[in-house]
Amino acid sequence: MLLGRNSEGNEELNLNGTVHNEVDSGVEHGAVLLRYSDAAVGRTPALVSAREALNRAMGPDAVVDCAATIANFQRMVRIADGCGIPLDPFSKKESEKWRAGLGIDDFRSHGNTFG
Amino acid sequence: MTTTAATFAYTDTTWPVLERMAAAHRRSWTMLASPGEWWTGAQRISIAAECRRASALVDGLPDPGPGPAELPDAAVFAVHKLIGDLPNVTREWYDETINAVGMSDTHYIELLGVVVHIWSIDEFHRALDIALEPLPDPIPGDPTRRRPAGIKANGSWPLTVLPEDLAESEADIYNGLERASNVRAAMSLHPDSVRWLTDLFDAHYLSWIEITSEQEPFRVLTRPQRELVAARVSALNECFY
Repeated sequence: MLLGRNSEGNEELNLNGTVHNEVDSGVEHGAVLLRYSDAAVGRTPALVSAREALNRAMGPDAVVDCAATIANFQRMVRIADGCGIPLDPFSKKESEKWRAGLGIDDFRSHGNTFG
Repeated sequence: MTTTAATFAYTDTTWPVLERMAAAHRRSWTMLASPGEWWTGAQRISIAAECRRASALVDGLPDPGPGPAELPDAAVFAVHKLIGDLPNVTREWYDETINAVGMSDTHYIELLGVVVHIWSIDEFHRALDIALEPLPDPIPGDPTRRRPAGIKANGSWPLTVLPEDLAESEADIYNGLERASNVRAAMSLHPDSVRWLTDLFDAHYLSWIEITSEQEPFRVLTRPQRELVAARVSALNECFY
């Protein structure tokens, strides 16, 4: 949600591509970054091949940067959901136009954020 | 469990882990081992050990075993909930947890601080297929049991301290900014957890320089690439916020 709000007006990032694999995110190397993210968070056997695909596409420094980003948000989501952080009224209203399309209104933590 | 000078040396991997990341991980281990406001160093390490047990349970791996100190049952349950059942964390569960035997709102926030930082560093290692760092030995000492001044209900489940209400001893936790991000404020019942959050955030994701201006040269992924990954990780965790 918050990232979605921050990304409004960012022409390089198609929000639908962040949750729907069939949609191009519009971000360079987005597909390999998402494949690695999915495998790391999902703890799937595809992690090794996904990491190598990202390495081939962007190099080892990018793999480390991506791993750090994944690690950071594995932390941030637990703080947000562990504390029931609310959305401000402006963000609630402004995000209505794209939340449903992303399907995030169906997340169970929706109730925590909306109080 | 041992602490050695070679902590987070990253000599057994070919991945080019940045020294700024390694240094932040070493500071995290010192933070972990130190007595907190509400838990001893040994209890904090037991929280970290329970974090690894929860992760092993999720992955179907052998139980790595408990830490050096006993924890309240509610604390053990909270760690497993935050690691393995995050989408089902609710306000009702939070209220039950902070009112359980051996727990309080401050105990919970400090526990959450340990869980999320150890989990984050471990996830970094798992994503790169690097062995987990052994947990450190505890640093002796008693918890100070000091609640920060200026705490109020500000929307999150825990009470929080806003920048204008900070006491001098905590004046640094929001980097001098007039407005605190909700995530930082949510942890402010335990000011050291906010400091820890900032330190690892700078090393893993965005520095304060990058938030307001240009990308720092040591970063490889562009801001849109990092935000794409961040949004995906949040979605996979079904985190609405």
